[in-house]
Amino acid sequence: MGLNLLALGTNRLPSLIRAVALQGVALGVMPLLMEYETLNWRVAAVALATIAGKGLVIPALLRRAMRAASIDREIEPFIGFVSSLLLGAGGTIAAVAFARALPLLPEHAGTLLVPGAIASILTGFILLIGRVKAISQVCGYLILENGIYLFGLLLIHSTPLLVESGILLDVTVGVFIIGIIVDRIQRAFDSLDTRKLTTLRE
Amino acid sequence: MIKPLITISGVGMLASILAAARAPRLWLGGVLAGAAGGLGAAVLALSTGFVWEWRSELTIGGEAVHLRLDALSALFLALLSLIGGAGAVYGREYWDGRAHPRSAWSERVCWSALVLCLGVVLLTVNGLHFLIALELSTLSAYFLVTLDRQRSEVRAAGWLYLAASHAATLCLLAFFTLMAVRTGSWELASMRDRPELAPLFWLALAGFGLKAGLFPLHIWLPSAHANAPSHVSAILSGVTLKIGIYGLVRFSGWLPMPPQAGWVVAFLGVSSAVLGVAFALGQHDLKRLLAYHSVENIGIILIGLGFALVAMGQGNARWGRLALAGGLLHVWNHGLFKSLLFFAAGSVLHATGTREMSRLGGLWRLMPWTASLFALGAVAISGLPPLNGFVSEWLVYLGLFDATLARGSSAWAAIPAAILLGVTGALALACFVKVCGVVFLGAPRSRAAADARESGPAMRGAMLVLGAGCVAIGLAPVLFWPAVLRAVDVWNPVWGGAATPVALSSLGMLHVALTLLALGAAGWLWRKARRGGLRRAVTWDCGYAAPTPRMQYTAGSFSSIINEWFASILRPERHEHRPEGLLPVSASFTEHTPETVLERIVMPAGRVVMRVSTAARGLQHGRVQSYLLYLLIGLAALAVLVVLGGGS
Repeated sequence: MGLNLLALGTNRLPSLIRAVALQGVALGVMPLLMEYETLNWRVAAVALATIAGKGLVIPALLRRAMRAASIDREIEPFIGFVSSLLLGAGGTIAAVAFARALPLLPEHAGTLLVPGAIASILTGFILLIGRVKAISQVCGYLILENGIYLFGLLLIHSTPLLVESGILLDVTVGVFIIGIIVDRIQRAFDSLDTRKLTTLRE
Repeated sequence: MIKPLITISGVGMLASILAAARAPRLWLGGVLAGAAGGLGAAVLALSTGFVWEWRSELTIGGEAVHLRLDALSALFLALLSLIGGAGAVYGREYWDGRAHPRSAWSERVCWSALVLCLGVVLLTVNGLHFLIALELSTLSAYFLVTLDRQRSEVRAAGWLYLAASHAATLCLLAFFTLMAVRTGSWELASMRDRPELAPLFWLALAGFGLKAGLFPLHIWLPSAHANAPSHVSAILSGVTLKIGIYGLVRFSGWLPMPPQAGWVVAFLGVSSAVLGVAFALGQHDLKRLLAYHSVENIGIILIGLGFALVAMGQGNARWGRLALAGGLLHVWNHGLFKSLLFFAAGSVLHATGTREMSRLGGLWRLMPWTASLFALGAVAISGLPPLNGFVSEWLVYLGLFDATLARGSSAWAAIPAAILLGVTGALALACFVKVCGVVFLGAPRSRAAADARESGPAMRGAMLVLGAGCVAIGLAPVLFWPAVLRAVDVWNPVWGGAATPVALSSLGMLHVALTLLALGAAGWLWRKARRGGLRRAVTWDCGYAAPTPRMQYTAGSFSSIINEWFASILRPERHEHRPEGLLPVSASFTEHTPETVLERIVMPAGRVVMRVSTAARGLQHGRVQSYLLYLLIGLAALAVLVVLGGGS
């Protein structure tokens, strides 16, 4: 969750991407820590794939897109960095409070998993709403997806492997495509500012 | 016997639509055959009380075609046939192919389509077909209103008419669909035994009220009727408005009524009658003035219907029957004299090219037929004996007087209603004295009025037919009473047949006597004038050295006192530049009565809606970030709703 706040607070794109990568690795390790007593090959495979995908492949793709577009800073966000931080902190507190109100199974009720997941989703939203550059938005989307994945960990034993890998593949391909689109936007408009795309609304 | 007549009517109208573009004579023949067939069928149904019913294998929109002609629909069908036929003859001369080469054929097509669709509306007993035919008739009427579409005010009037009609159709769509959902079928029949349908009446009142031009819903009526070609104004006012009345009468007879319905209808009727005539007094445009009188007369009809509903709610009191009979007879009468007046106004417009009363004057000598027939219609619409307007208003009065004799709340409502009805009649008389005086008497106020020529035989013939109808109902009301009574019995069978009220037959005789007396007096005066010779002199030969036509009373000055009484409602716009000093050089005064409901209520409301929707359109600006924010807000709102709702 600290990583979420880091992602909100930074204006440098490389550190944003690093935060996303670290979060991916942490997510990958999470099932191993949670289920170390009943470790089986399925959980291990999911964990390894997550670390590889979210920790290495996706950040690498993002860095490439960033280099191709030759930008590394988010300069004029819709929501300022300090206020995003405050919003993120508020969101985290709200998430903890909200998780108490949810009708959860008793074995999940005590953990920080659910509030963490909700806080990540909120952070992802704040990034998506508050940032202008396409790459920051992709990172927001990834953090949002991480939150959903964290929620899915509650069900890791009942989710088929195929579904897990399908989601992972989806995200990777999505980021890949966005990388290409970012490149195209950069060439066409000489900027990655999504505000300039408003004429496409009708 | 009815079936072949209806078939002739339908085939004639369809053939006339096909022939309209190429063969105007064939078109006229088709329309007249259709009108004659419809009139014959209606007369048969009214004189025998026979209910004709016909189901076909043919389906339209998945519903089998099902027609029915009972006395109530026959009453309206007779009016439609008469005006449809007379208007077609009139229109041949009024909107002829030489003067309007580009729109004459579309006038013919739309006229046939309008008459045919209105006929289907009257005959069908299927809700879906009712709606389809009503909508088609609205469209044909729209094209007829905008025949002269080069002028922008005609286009604006047509647009307003179309918008108001669509609002009405929306209400009626909801009405018919809800009825179909609750009864499980589109078939219409008496549903008195299902009290849960009662609230639907309010939808019908809104929809048919808009069609009929009830007081606060009449906003479209004056401009549409004033700007349409005159024979179109005649059918719009004489028949199309009555379709709204037909709907109200039909469904108030078939559906169970909410207990307040009668009071509301009667109240709306009284306010339409008084305010309609008050607005009419403020008008300077001949056809616009007539249009406001339609609002007034619709009000009189609704007073009859409203008190009939009240009577039905109070244990079928007998006085309700008189009130409704008066209202229904007034449907005929208003159809006849208002069409006659619009025909005559059209004849004036045709001859002079203007509807402004302040540019007319002195037309009686130049257009004696038009002027006399207009005067006949004016006497009828003012409710003066011995013409038909008096008969129907008198029946309504009788109903109201009987209601005051009955104990209870109805008495307290009937007394003011009767008084206000009297006020309406007096104001209408004042208004038509003004019209006849300004337009037909005095000296011509403009070149156009001085050069006016009497219209041709087709227009005069159509006016004569309608004038004869007015005289016939006025002199022999007893002949028409059984027909109206049959329609009333279809509406509420409980009242049952009863003999002609004695007063009605004596009224008829009184009218004949009055007419003979008046004719005798006129003949005597005429003879005296011929024997003694007439001496002509200057009108104001005492101080006015050179009287000019501009010194005559104008329409505005004639009615200014009465306008003053109603100024708080009419809100006339005045611009005055008073004469100043001893020898004033210039002075001016103009007064204009706007359509107050439209300009003070509907248009501001429309502007508010416009502003809100323009602001709402700003929400869609293409920024992905904000769209996501909307999503988040929506989710949060849902979460709050779940959390709060979960507690309860």
